[in-house]
Amino acid sequence: MKPRSVELVASPGQPHFVGDGFRVHNFIPSGFRMDMQRMDPFIMLDYNSKFHFPASSRPKGVGVHPHRGFETVTIAYKGKVQHHDSSGGGGVIGEGDIQWMTAASGVLHKEFHEEEWSKKGGEFQMVQLWVNLPAKDKMSAPKYQAIKNDSVPRVQLDPKGSEIDVIAGEFEHVKGVASTFTPINMWNAHLKEGSEVKLNFPSHFNTVLLVVEGEIEVNGTDRAPTDHLVLLANDGEEFSVKANQDSKVLVLSGEPINEPIAAHGPFVMNTRQELMEAFNDFNEGKFGYLED
Amino acid sequence: MNHFTLKSYLTSNLDLREEEINTILTECNTRIVSKDEYLLKSQEYCKHIFFVEDGLLRQFSIDEKGKEHILHFAPEGWFVTDRESVFFNQPSQFNIQALEDTRVAVLDDAFFKILEEKMPSFRDFNHRMIHSYIRSLQNRIMMLLSNTAEDRYLKFIKKYPDIPLRVPQWMIASYLGITPESLSRVRKELAQRHK
Repeated sequence: MKPRSVELVASPGQPHFVGDGFRVHNFIPSGFRMDMQRMDPFIMLDYNSKFHFPASSRPKGVGVHPHRGFETVTIAYKGKVQHHDSSGGGGVIGEGDIQWMTAASGVLHKEFHEEEWSKKGGEFQMVQLWVNLPAKDKMSAPKYQAIKNDSVPRVQLDPKGSEIDVIAGEFEHVKGVASTFTPINMWNAHLKEGSEVKLNFPSHFNTVLLVVEGEIEVNGTDRAPTDHLVLLANDGEEFSVKANQDSKVLVLSGEPINEPIAAHGPFVMNTRQELMEAFNDFNEGKFGYLED
Repeated sequence: MNHFTLKSYLTSNLDLREEEINTILTECNTRIVSKDEYLLKSQEYCKHIFFVEDGLLRQFSIDEKGKEHILHFAPEGWFVTDRESVFFNQPSQFNIQALEDTRVAVLDDAFFKILEEKMPSFRDFNHRMIHSYIRSLQNRIMMLLSNTAEDRYLKFIKKYPDIPLRVPQWMIASYLGITPESLSRVRKELAQRHK
């Protein structure tokens, strides 16, 4: 198996607020060498690094907005988010939970800090990822996968207690809980200090590691501290990840869809014409209605 | 939807030689304004013409009761100024404010006059701009006098397809001369019709 090298280690950029409830560093698509084409099928990655929100009687968050043409995946590390959508669906994403929303043909939704959590405030840490859909599935029916932390399969790595949660894809013959439209691996690796794991993915799979906690060393050479993102080159399959301290790492690796991307705001389609249709459909109420 | 530069706008809308375009561009400054920052405040004399290259501006007035009334939104590719203040040299009744971090090309009013004198095609262009502005204002007056809230909204989304996703609802309501509640009702009714 050919070794896979590190292309770059990205430090978190200047954070910005999404609504008033998410303070995020954007890695994809605004990060250096991490545009939508390069990172395909991962077309957006916002990372809310650990941030303390003070108690608030009015839950903070982001109001009604649409999505079309892709999936949003929210991974809650700290804090709780409540969401509602135009089909009447909704729920709470608690610590360790994952919400995999297939927006596909169109969803209107809003996301706020969960009411009781907001009243107390506290540490908040989340990832929101957009996963692109192939053209044939972009206009399919929207759906949700609400994934509770205790339903995610875990693979023990070593006697130290290191383990890998398989959210999607497969690790050592253990299949992830989420269903995906294209081949995607999404894992949370909990590595104890000194643990080392060898990972491998087909070389054309676009692959990143987000260090949510701790510090790791990739291939024995590239050090990535907390809140940094490691982009792996597409020059081989296998690489090693060693924890310099107890660490939590989000591992993402997906097969590129390799179709044209036309993106603007909350819509990601294949052509400009389809983008215009998305705006018209949203404006004309075809995404439904949701009270602010 | 695109990132427009003044250069590409001039190239595709005016019959100018490259050196003429370069003359215009050398006299023109680029300014970056942060969200909420003002390019013009009421009672000031407007001395500039702004071309939005990236971002979004609004032109609005504030009445005696403190209520805001939006005359225009100016997204990428739009010119915005207060022609009344510029031409008649009088204090403006309008504010021009950035609704997003915005990059504008700034043309000086005096330079605009020089261009009109020296470049016939620029004079023709400005003439056309004034008339299309009159047309747009006439349409806007007729909309406010005679259209239902729903018709106003439908015309708005044709004119500004991506603005509903970029500004809060109350600003759209202000532009349309209706209450935010009416706008909410219109949008709800449209959604129900499409169920």
